[in-house]
Amino acid sequence: MVSVNTQREMYEQMVTARRYEQRLQEEYLEGKQPAFDISAGPIPGELHLAAGQEAAAVGVCAHLDDDDTVTAPHRPHHVAIAKGVDLPKMTAEIFGRETGLCKGKGGHMHLFDPDVNFACSGIIAQGCPPAVGAAMAADKRNEDSVAVAYLGEGAVDQGAFLESLNLAAVQNLPVVFVVEDNDWAISMPQDRVTDVDTPADRAGGFDMPGVRVDHDDAIAVYEAARDAVGRARNGNGPTLLDVQVHRRMGHFMGDAEAYRPDEDSERAQRLDSIERLADDLRAEGIGDDELDEIRDRAEERVEDAIAWAKDQPEPDPAAAHEDVFVDDTTAASGGED
Amino acid sequence: MSERATDPGTGDADRELTMSRAMVDAVAAEMRADDEVFYVGEDVQDYGGIFDSTEGLLDEFDRDRVMDVPISETAYVGAAVGAAQAGMRPIAEIMFADFVGVCLDQVYNQMAKNTYMSGGAVNVPMVLTTAVGGEYNDAAQHSQTLYGLFSHLPGMKVVVPSTAYDAKGLMHAAVRDDDPVVYMFHKRLMGIGWMPAPEGPKTPVPDEEYAIPLGEADVKREGEDVTVVTLGLHVHRAMQAAEQLADGGVDTEVIDLRSLVPFDTETVLESVEKTGKLVVVDEDYQSFGVTGEVVARVAERAPDSLEAVERVALPDVPIPFSRPLEKEVNPQVDDIVAAVESVE
Amino acid sequence: MTVDVDSEAYWPADADDVDEAVVANWFVREGGRVDAGDTLCEIQIEKVSVDVDAPESGTLAERVVPESGEFRRGDVLGRIESA
Repeated sequence: MVSVNTQREMYEQMVTARRYEQRLQEEYLEGKQPAFDISAGPIPGELHLAAGQEAAAVGVCAHLDDDDTVTAPHRPHHVAIAKGVDLPKMTAEIFGRETGLCKGKGGHMHLFDPDVNFACSGIIAQGCPPAVGAAMAADKRNEDSVAVAYLGEGAVDQGAFLESLNLAAVQNLPVVFVVEDNDWAISMPQDRVTDVDTPADRAGGFDMPGVRVDHDDAIAVYEAARDAVGRARNGNGPTLLDVQVHRRMGHFMGDAEAYRPDEDSERAQRLDSIERLADDLRAEGIGDDELDEIRDRAEERVEDAIAWAKDQPEPDPAAAHEDVFVDDTTAASGGED
Repeated sequence: MSERATDPGTGDADRELTMSRAMVDAVAAEMRADDEVFYVGEDVQDYGGIFDSTEGLLDEFDRDRVMDVPISETAYVGAAVGAAQAGMRPIAEIMFADFVGVCLDQVYNQMAKNTYMSGGAVNVPMVLTTAVGGEYNDAAQHSQTLYGLFSHLPGMKVVVPSTAYDAKGLMHAAVRDDDPVVYMFHKRLMGIGWMPAPEGPKTPVPDEEYAIPLGEADVKREGEDVTVVTLGLHVHRAMQAAEQLADGGVDTEVIDLRSLVPFDTETVLESVEKTGKLVVVDEDYQSFGVTGEVVARVAERAPDSLEAVERVALPDVPIPFSRPLEKEVNPQVDDIVAAVESVE
Repeated sequence: MTVDVDSEAYWPADADDVDEAVVANWFVREGGRVDAGDTLCEIQIEKVSVDVDAPESGTLAERVVPESGEFRRGDVLGRIESA
């Protein structure tokens, strides 16, 4: 059973995340037409949007607080929002501004918000070991915080993931591995690259529970995550939680998805986890006017964040040499004493 | 930034220690002082480290402070990164520097870059210890130093002790540093029974704690005629060469770099401005590495002082197994003597 | 008063069948001060390393077996002038 309040909160976060990705897509494509020039426009570089994957973010993060650590991969925005990352500063970072979370040095794939213990990273599966490390620290300090490592289904073949499962299991660490299975590793469908049926099947070989949520449903994720996070917090070790989601946009912005069968894309559009949760809320007696109010609030929050970000200054080029070390007695280039 | 005990100088301590014991001395002291310091690696508990890097620690500390881990460098080096970002001070050991290949992402993309990519929002106060070096017939995959690799990639400090005294002081500094420090200890200098050390690395070591600041080279032997810049095992080969050369009337200055990142250019420049002649000796591959870096810095800053220069390093070949082959590629005392004579 | 550091006292039980060893490392110079319990030297019996601790406080008067020197079980390793 999930309380109406919790459902409502999850709904608001999902709508915020969806709106955020849609708006970023618009901002991103600006300046890149007519021929797609990846480095042009207000958001240069790569952009990996998570429209359609919101349930995996909100269903798990609903059980976490600021002290719990989350690492996310290259498709991080929905998880960041669910974790409580500062949205205006995150947006400024995506726009490469000086007052972004990372002073413009990380960008969309390398967002760090230590206030809520969130970090994302661009190398597949490499967020898993640091999450295990955060869990190790909690364990050594006898704290009841947990760590969550997000990864895609394409990452379950990478050594970093497999090693992390073993290390977490053999040391009984409070970590939950959350696989967002959106079926596609860029253009490679899951069944062509991984031999087990679902990512959850990997868990058996590592002596840990593997739980599969095979419908794109925030409440189902919430319930499975309650068990997994609870297990970790109670000192009963790690869990592999595998969640089916549907990627509504391409792998990255600019991906024409020529490899993807039309039926698959259409199916993703149909199986909308946000609509599903809306139906659940209506069944609980929440009216459409309240749902609209939530949606309006979310849109306003997103607009405010984007407007603030676009108003921020660009970094001073000289700043490129700073922050290599916190103990900056060394200049970055030349490394002189 | 944590406080540092100042370096009391080599001093006149009654006890001498092998380099491994001096290193462990410092690790133990740091672990006593701070619960958040822990050592993690393969065979570091009951074995005491393959190269004696943790010998005796288990007598004093629990298995959760001195941790054996599965053979999974990506996982445990990455876990050390995560624990460090959570504020702990892990010391993670890669058994042989050559093994960095299997976990290079966690080292150069995560450990070394998270501080910068976050704009300083996070930092990574960990030490990455690793055994380096060869000439005991362990062949191409187990004999490298890779000084150049670790120094070239931005975001990690790199130290290379050559004596017991330096080993202790640099370890204290490394643990207390709020940034990632790669601590590269040469297998043959550790004083291991089955790999006898040459003369030199065993030195008097004070009982009290002291930290040697990173970024300070050490003039191990003053001289007027030629500057020899080197590190690790070859500090001792350079000292032997200097003795031989002295018989022939050549006075050699031997500079032990001790620290690659930060790098002490000033000490090197001062010396070359005095002697005019530079020989750089390195147990890493010659091209695109330490020797080229030293020469470039001198050429940039003091081109008029530089009359002659010679590099003595491993050639760009994988390190061979057979003894005559390995001796051919690893700079010997004679090679250093010859290099000095050629610039004189 | 001079105290002999007798190698017999440090011989490990599982090396009963071995008679010879090497002083791998000395850790105190001749004339150097030691406290009882400080590690004086390290002996190596085949592959096993054993730490030899000072039986008394005082000064290491003599390294009877030098570094890298071979000795037999029961030989005196060094002499301490007790304080």
